[in-house]
Amino acid sequence: MSRQELIGPQGLRQDGRRASELRKIKCTPSVLSQSDGSSYIEQGNTKCLAAVYGPREARQKAQILHNKALITVEISLAPFSMSERKKRKKFDKRLLEIASAVKQTFEPIIMTNLFPRSQIDIFLQILQYDGGMIQICINAATLALIDAGIPMLEYVCACSAGIVEDTTILELLGTPELTVALLPQSQKVTLLQLETRLHVDKLEPVMKMAIEGAKDIYKHLDKISRNYIEDLLQKSNPHPPI
Amino acid sequence: MPSSLISPSELDYIIRGVDDNLRADGRGRLDYREVILETGLISQANGSARCRLSKGTDVLVGVKVEIGSIEIDGTDEEVAAIEAKRGRIVCNVECSPIASQQFAGRGADDINNELTQLVDRVLNGPQGGLNLEKLCIIPGEECWIVYIDALVLDYGGNILDIIFTTIRAALHNTRVPKTVIEEDKEVEISDDVEEWERIEGWELVPISVTLNKIGTRHIVDATVLEELATKAKLSVMVNKNSKICGIQKIGGGSIEHSLLNEMLQTGRSLGQNLIHNLDKMLQKEEEINAKRKIGFFASA
Repeated sequence: MSRQELIGPQGLRQDGRRASELRKIKCTPSVLSQSDGSSYIEQGNTKCLAAVYGPREARQKAQILHNKALITVEISLAPFSMSERKKRKKFDKRLLEIASAVKQTFEPIIMTNLFPRSQIDIFLQILQYDGGMIQICINAATLALIDAGIPMLEYVCACSAGIVEDTTILELLGTPELTVALLPQSQKVTLLQLETRLHVDKLEPVMKMAIEGAKDIYKHLDKISRNYIEDLLQKSNPHPPI
Repeated sequence: MPSSLISPSELDYIIRGVDDNLRADGRGRLDYREVILETGLISQANGSARCRLSKGTDVLVGVKVEIGSIEIDGTDEEVAAIEAKRGRIVCNVECSPIASQQFAGRGADDINNELTQLVDRVLNGPQGGLNLEKLCIIPGEECWIVYIDALVLDYGGNILDIIFTTIRAALHNTRVPKTVIEEDKEVEISDDVEEWERIEGWELVPISVTLNKIGTRHIVDATVLEELATKAKLSVMVNKNSKICGIQKIGGGSIEHSLLNEMLQTGRSLGQNLIHNLDKMLQKEEEINAKRKIGFFASA
């Protein structure tokens, strides 16, 4: 598909979205039995499962941090997650890079100083991939950390945007783009990755769009986790007030 | 296997429960947990299935078929003549670290390899059921390669049985596109999405019944805690015609000869029921799939 045809005459993209429209998000917290916290999230055709273990005793003595908890992130890609079957090695360099980006995003947000000498593991499993790896990893991890009850300063929500022929586009898939992770309450950016050439004048509108997208994702995640907790409360209270 | 700790009193509770034919979750010795089956949920794969046990094990299998060249290894002419007329099956089992913390880093390497080899051995041999000759396109040159990738998403005990069940369901769900051989021996895949066939012999693909020896008795479909109390495990692979297609003893302890025979018989008869139930579920799934649905956990 050439870049010109990216937006049709009616202002719709190939998947039916408008330029400033997010992909459909579906998410569920607490889907796995063995982990302390887990989540499943679907953004369009990219699907990801996240599991959080900890805080617990650090596994390797050499890694122990004496004043705060150690965070580890591991991402795995299912062999059938892309249209071409590719057996990826567990320690693929690109995946390692994304894992370390996710780790750095969460390090300042999780209140690690509350758990000295311990470890928090975040595992991410991509089941189906259709663009936007970093953002889905961050969103899934946020939801799983909330489910695990790990104290955080606030949510972290990530979104991406790009530009085609002077139109800023939210979640431009397939081509490199700008990914932003946002702390929605304090309005701070914790992760910023630009993977393409972009004119300085265009940076502002693209950034603005990505931030707006992240805010929308935040609203959705917040609604889902609040509903989930309310549901839990109701279930755990055998005699609800009349 | 996830090796967490179990206390002596927990161990005692499990062993006595098994003796009295009443387990912690209310099941008898030979009762299975409820299985939830979904098929056709991975859009990029030719076939897929996902099996879940209530509050536990969760396995996702994707099957992809690709055209590849026939590889003949070995110098034996007779073997080469058979191999030249056959397609191939490539299996891969992966335990994701999200399933259990024991699978983090390189922790799953051993169990992945063990399970992959076992599944590969059963499916590629003559007992595997699949008609490999039907997967050959041009003898000696081109054939279909069936890639079976199993991914363990959640660990609640008894993964081997669930892996086999899911693989059988995924193979049932697999659509192999029709091919046309052109004059210059070029293989063309039919453009028509409706032109497809099932892999012949999927119904004869065996499933596994794992029997866990606890105390002096044996149980099926063990939970994580029950697996920790297990002395020895015996997996029996059974197909639809009630034939035993493979036996594998797993784990430390030993099994007495008399008990071994009893376990084999139990495995065989239970396997029959399981296959019967699975076939019923698959038929139902096919009817639902005709109405189309999308998503993994969205329906959960």
